[in-house]
Amino acid sequence: MRTEASLLRGGIPEGLIEPPLTEGVVTPGSLDDQVLAFPDSRPPRQWYIGLAITMTAMLIGFGFIGYTIATGIGVWGNTSPVFWAFDIINFVFWVGIGHAGTLISAILFLFRKRWRNAIARFAEAMTIFAVMCAGIFPLIHVGRPWLAFWLFPYPNQRAVWTNFRSPLLWDVFAVSTYFSVSLMFWFLGLVPDIASMRDRTTSKVRKVIYSVLSMGWRGAASHWQHYEKAYLLLAGLATGLVLSVHSVVSFDFATSVVPGWHMTIFPPYFVAGAIFAGFSMVVIVLVVVRETMQLKNLITMRHLDVMNKVILGMACLMGYSYMMEGFTAWYSMNPYLHHAFMNIITGVYGWAGWLTISCNILIPQLLWFKKCRTSYFWMILVAVGVTVGMWFERFVIIVISLHQDYLPSSWRIYKPTLVDFGVLLGSFGLFFTLVLIFARVLPVIATTEVKAILPGAQPSHHGDDHE
Amino acid sequence: MTKQNRTTTTLLRGTLALGLLGVIGAYLKASPERFWANWILWFVLLFTVALGALFIVALEHLVNAKWSVPIRRIPERIATLLIPVVPVGLIALGALPVLYPGTRPEALHNKILAGKAFWLGIPFFSARTVVSLALVLVGLLVLVRGSFRQDQTKDPAFNFRARKFAPAFMAIFALVITLVAFDWVSGLTPEWYSDIFGVYLFAGAFLGGLAVTSLSVLHLKDQGRLEGVRKDHLYNLGGFLFAFTVFWSYIGFAQYMLMWYANLPDEVIYFQTRLTGGWHTVTFALAFFHFVMPFFALVTRDAKGDGSRLRRVALLILAAHILDIYWLIFPILPGGPHLSWPELSFALLFLSGALLWIRGAMEKGEDMPVGDPFLKEGLEFRL
Amino acid sequence: MSSGKSFAVLGLFDSADALVTAIPKVREKQLGGLEAYTPYPIHGIDEALGLRRSPLGGMVLVMGVLGAITALGFQYWISAIDYPIVTGGKAPWSWEAFVPIMFEVTVLFATFTAGLGMLLLLNKLPFFGHPVLSSESIKAITRDRFALAIEAEGEGFDAAAAQAALAAASATGIEVLPEPDRGPFLTSDYILRVAGGIFTACVVAGLLMYAAVKLFPVLPPMSHMEDQPRLNAQKADSFFKDGFGMRMPVPGTVARGYLPIGVSSQEEAASLVNPLPRTPEVLAMGRKVFHNRCELCHGALADGVPTLTAAYGGKPANLQAQQFRDYPDGKIFWAITMGKNAMPSHAADLTVTQRWAVVHYVRALQRAQNAKDEDLNQAGAR
Repeated sequence: MRTEASLLRGGIPEGLIEPPLTEGVVTPGSLDDQVLAFPDSRPPRQWYIGLAITMTAMLIGFGFIGYTIATGIGVWGNTSPVFWAFDIINFVFWVGIGHAGTLISAILFLFRKRWRNAIARFAEAMTIFAVMCAGIFPLIHVGRPWLAFWLFPYPNQRAVWTNFRSPLLWDVFAVSTYFSVSLMFWFLGLVPDIASMRDRTTSKVRKVIYSVLSMGWRGAASHWQHYEKAYLLLAGLATGLVLSVHSVVSFDFATSVVPGWHMTIFPPYFVAGAIFAGFSMVVIVLVVVRETMQLKNLITMRHLDVMNKVILGMACLMGYSYMMEGFTAWYSMNPYLHHAFMNIITGVYGWAGWLTISCNILIPQLLWFKKCRTSYFWMILVAVGVTVGMWFERFVIIVISLHQDYLPSSWRIYKPTLVDFGVLLGSFGLFFTLVLIFARVLPVIATTEVKAILPGAQPSHHGDDHE
Repeated sequence: MTKQNRTTTTLLRGTLALGLLGVIGAYLKASPERFWANWILWFVLLFTVALGALFIVALEHLVNAKWSVPIRRIPERIATLLIPVVPVGLIALGALPVLYPGTRPEALHNKILAGKAFWLGIPFFSARTVVSLALVLVGLLVLVRGSFRQDQTKDPAFNFRARKFAPAFMAIFALVITLVAFDWVSGLTPEWYSDIFGVYLFAGAFLGGLAVTSLSVLHLKDQGRLEGVRKDHLYNLGGFLFAFTVFWSYIGFAQYMLMWYANLPDEVIYFQTRLTGGWHTVTFALAFFHFVMPFFALVTRDAKGDGSRLRRVALLILAAHILDIYWLIFPILPGGPHLSWPELSFALLFLSGALLWIRGAMEKGEDMPVGDPFLKEGLEFRL
Repeated sequence: MSSGKSFAVLGLFDSADALVTAIPKVREKQLGGLEAYTPYPIHGIDEALGLRRSPLGGMVLVMGVLGAITALGFQYWISAIDYPIVTGGKAPWSWEAFVPIMFEVTVLFATFTAGLGMLLLLNKLPFFGHPVLSSESIKAITRDRFALAIEAEGEGFDAAAAQAALAAASATGIEVLPEPDRGPFLTSDYILRVAGGIFTACVVAGLLMYAAVKLFPVLPPMSHMEDQPRLNAQKADSFFKDGFGMRMPVPGTVARGYLPIGVSSQEEAASLVNPLPRTPEVLAMGRKVFHNRCELCHGALADGVPTLTAAYGGKPANLQAQQFRDYPDGKIFWAITMGKNAMPSHAADLTVTQRWAVVHYVRALQRAQNAKDEDLNQAGAR
């Protein structure tokens, strides 16, 4: 190893140099030409086929939702004692997926990790779409969705206020705030990019649309100053949201006394799980995007490698959480908690428990190997496994704890119905439809942000010492 | 060593001796519970701060952080505090029969404690403590001794080794901090449990390590050492102090709120004890000094990079961390919060001892890891 | 509409370095206000242009704190003052439960201040009339070139000198810009005014609605519906001079269904005569009432062998005993009405008619259990 201290690039040995964030020659002009060309061009046939598939799934789901609203919640499998099932599983699942986007845009911005710039736009878009999918479920699971506005505290003739002590109401505020903030953050990032599109486009109609959307942005330095400040502040605020929103979702469970739900580790455990599931979804989508949109020079294997490392890190955090739950189930000497835990691994739904553990803890250990982190096959296998595993984790938490809690005479087997599956399918359809539309309508890479980190983009340091 | 340094060292040796006298007096005069509660307080405190510093080092290797390379030597030196903590911890085992209900024979008659008697009992408890201390020393050897050695050899092999070891250390850290939390802290009330407790102690440990690191960095800069460490680096330290103040508060609040909400008798007893009989003042002080003050002191961008502000806030956070451990441990003693000559003696002894050790450590090796290939990039770091 | 006067002179540069080097050269000539146009933010340009620090941080902090106070105050007022309820055993002022929403609303207020405050207030966007937007250079600016503009600050703007200064600083592509077009209606001012108007309207509407729902119903004359001059049960009343709502019955009157029996002891009751005729209907009623009320203790055959008393050790009367067969009707009626020994009064549960019917039925039971041969003749052998 001694001989490897050959002084490449200022003395950093080969194995420690990080690959560049862009491959080949990338200039601001070439970046615009590559990325901003998509909204102006016709999509290829595969896009239409993909859209047809996702829209079909989406419409099937909407059909089932309509059926549910017209007929009643009884068409779902929810029944005593499993009062929450696919509805809440899907809600928590989709809100979780959204968290990766905010982490990438906001938290990695605060850490000044430049590799986030190429993927932040897509990740944020996925957050917004995921939260939209998530929002469907609280709306339709209330039974009388046309009265859902009762959840908001407005002065009314019933002279009744909402119950602020209920975590379900905290959810309403948390998820709406999360949606608004993500939308604001995403939109702010889009403004300079849409300004570029406005100045490139030859179509009159598009020019008007882009002008309005970019609000007349002209790249003035005095504007950039406020803009950067706003972006930094939003990044900080959104970071707080990443932690708090999924913690509030976990409070839905942790504030109760259902055995297996009332665990103080739920807030950070849910947040870690959300980031875990979200990053996996981002990896899957980015692999497809970089291949089909020829963006390999901007979304490089380094980006995928480092995201897989985050997934691995989160898998380890999940492993810690599962071990703490197991340990506490024993340490508490609480027979109900003990039974709830044993049920997960040996009960009727034990197969779901083992599926969760395998997909969330065991399989992602493959990512210790660089070969797996940089191979499409392995990383997609792990990512799909994690997505499935995280859905089943919510299934395990909700259904297994509910179907056998304190009173044995209330124990029942839960069976989902076709409608449950149809609505789940529809939510995936909605998500991917929105993703496909976004990919062709708006810039999928934050060109402005990537331009700012290209080599030579910033003036060479001019000697002030920040002392 | 400058004259000022020699004066301080003599002063510290004096307070150390004074503290030692007081501690011996406490052993002879005060109740065994009081003596051991103090001992446990300082063991847990120094252990968490030193382990937090080692965690910082491992984290920097794990994520290949470049900005922190110029100041990495500081937490490495602080982590060496783990060496004197080992005998402190072994002596602390004397507290087991006095303060830890699970170790006493009456536990076998208690429905809840009897089932986990082998876990709570002295043999396995001690074994876990010894293993934790050993594992932590392993981490110290690989990460800190390797870094010191790299000063001479300038061999990048250490970077490769540290990167490989960092994940393993994270596993060690998770195990050790959880064991310290469950055994030494919540083991005082073994019928109570909270599975976030390991994370809670981690937050405090990280903050403690960060606070001492920041104070040391600022102290060395005052002495004219650590040239090249600028406001940009300080800003990052301030940012982490701010972020983890919020994180600690979030964990602490979540734990409290969930137990308040469900209102189960076996859980809320923990907080009932801390909200009655004089303890509510301490609880309020904890929330104020550990969250409200540091939060508002560091919320603006300027504040995070300002050396004098950072020094005051780091001191505040360290004091708040001590208050946190006190708040966790001392309610086991009846009669409200105790603050008298035993507590002051222990504080004098252990604070002087720790300060003397750290000051000595600050003279070991170079002030910056001069053998690290990323030092140049770290010094060039700009916000 | 543009007036034809030049508003600014713009010079393009090929790199960020070139721009940053040019700025001090142009600035020292002091020909007007300086503005730079770049495709992305440039480090260090704020200092070079002498821009004042952005006040956004302070604005966001203030609005964030306002959000926290608003959320906490709102929840407190709703849960502890306006309609205090104890739910789940939690006191009306459960601050622990109010923290999550307080945090989210803080972030919400802060975010909207940061985003909309930056766009609308500080940058005064949207603004579509700026001459840069319709210049030749804008395509390059949002793509990959950097521009420095010298803007007119007053009347005496020397466009030629500005052009020369930019050329001297190595600018390529120098352009003169006309006055901004302040005409188009969709500007940040307009949006702010509309938003302000909507907000005010919402506040006013909310207050009006609150007044309509809470205040008006309790003001006269609406409150007259509540304060009616009538008797309310168990309440004081202004209708009567003495203020009592509960009145004594008018002297000398008896409530319907509460006609007094007229005797004051079981001995005196012997004189009472059963007013009901002995018809099948009366006997059927008597049997039904006996089955519901009396059988429990006295047994189906009125022989004092019931199902219930084994549980609590009472000893109900055996109505088949000679003593009770000799009882005049009135004494049985008395026992039902006033109770006897451990037997409670059944006056509240049975009307007078029902009681007399039971007496008939008891007599029938007594006769059935102590039948004589002549009774068979009465029934009529068939």
